[in-house]
Amino acid sequence: MNGRRALNQDALKLTTYFGERDRLDGELVADRLLDLYGEAEIETSVLLRGVEGFGLKHHLHTDRLLSLSEDLPLVSIAVDTRERIEAVLEDAVRLKQKGLMTLERARLLSGEILEVSLPEELHEATKLTIYLGRQERVYRMPAFMAVCDLLYRRGIAGATAFLGVDGTVRGERERARFFGRNRDVPMMVIAVGEGARISRVLPELGGLLHRALLTLERVRVCKRDGEVIERPHALPSTDEHGLEVWQKLMVYTSEAAKHEGHPVHTALIRRLREAGVVGATSLRGIWGFHGDHAPHGDKASTLGRHVPVTTIIVDTPARIAEAFEVVDELTAERGLVTSEMVPAMAAISERERRGGLDLSRHRF
Amino acid sequence: MSVLVWVGVALLGGVGACARFLLDSTIASRSPLDFPLGTYVVNISGAFVLGLLVGVSLEGDAYLLAGTGTIGAYTTFSTWMLETHRLGEETERWSMAANVGLSLAAGIGAAALGRAIGGAL
Repeated sequence: MNGRRALNQDALKLTTYFGERDRLDGELVADRLLDLYGEAEIETSVLLRGVEGFGLKHHLHTDRLLSLSEDLPLVSIAVDTRERIEAVLEDAVRLKQKGLMTLERARLLSGEILEVSLPEELHEATKLTIYLGRQERVYRMPAFMAVCDLLYRRGIAGATAFLGVDGTVRGERERARFFGRNRDVPMMVIAVGEGARISRVLPELGGLLHRALLTLERVRVCKRDGEVIERPHALPSTDEHGLEVWQKLMVYTSEAAKHEGHPVHTALIRRLREAGVVGATSLRGIWGFHGDHAPHGDKASTLGRHVPVTTIIVDTPARIAEAFEVVDELTAERGLVTSEMVPAMAAISERERRGGLDLSRHRF
Repeated sequence: MSVLVWVGVALLGGVGACARFLLDSTIASRSPLDFPLGTYVVNISGAFVLGLLVGVSLEGDAYLLAGTGTIGAYTTFSTWMLETHRLGEETERWSMAANVGLSLAAGIGAAALGRAIGGAL
């Protein structure tokens, strides 16, 4: 088994939200950040381009209008062991300068994946993220489709495939080029489901993929197909050591999902921006499902798009409780909504700095 | 045509493009509508000014500089089409139809009005 090392360990996930045109010393922050992850040989990192969003300053960026699309939101995600993420943290903060950054706990699995007995806290519901290569194939089928198909058949609540444009795969930099096959450029599939079902599907995924690389995180499924299952956890604003606790909502809908005639995700971004949330970003997937419709992407025969869209909202637990009201209203008919605790977040603009990157700990 | 006029077209074209970008993004970031209002205002105001230039019988190099150079760079057909297509992708049928219909009707109206006003000056 060439170079397969089985990993199953506690990890940290560093997520940064920023702008496509953010620069530092004349160089693009996106390039510098991924250079940093490449040099540090971060196990897995991926850079995603958002389609709509706003940050601390509440400037709207959207690909719907040409003049507002010249600085679209970017999201970079880096996952590795705690020591290795902490080693790049200081440099990442210095590079970032503005935007949002979060640190979250995750379990990182790679190599030979056997049935995993999930830690107790992952039993309620689990978010499974699978990192794949763009051109990776399974039995002549694109790997992301094969993965979504398997997850759908195993009754997982939803899965969305996102295309990355840059990143590291098992420590090696893989960057998309304009010309070229971009075979190993990372992409990821985010799936949400009951802990027990996710745990059962893991060995199957391990068998399906040549070299599986995935993370598990604890989430709560708040809504499914328009129905409220449970509200987001009522978290305190600080942990017992006084460190701030943050919370995240993820709303999985599709381009075709409408609220009063408008796509749910655009209505969401607009309403959340009016409500003064610290930041929200929408990412468009290329394939996926949520609820009981089979995995799908766009259809060549129709102008209207059908691909899945995921909106990520991060703020204090109190603001997230308010944001959930908005989310609940706009996802009255459909959509999958999950909530997670975010143990650390820093929001930085030229004028303001909120939060920090010391990990809070709160058991619930 | 002199080199000077070519340089003038290039410079004024740049001015037109910058004016469009500033106006469009200012309107777009403030507009609560789904409708691409920024591009609409740019195109209609451009049609009006071009009508005005024809109305006052601007000729030769001056017309080339102001019309083709400045207004040509200021207005944008491609953005109008792209944003209409995006509305279609989001199946915003009314906004899509309005963006085509209103732009055509108001654009021709603005050009005619500009021309009439220019002719009367």
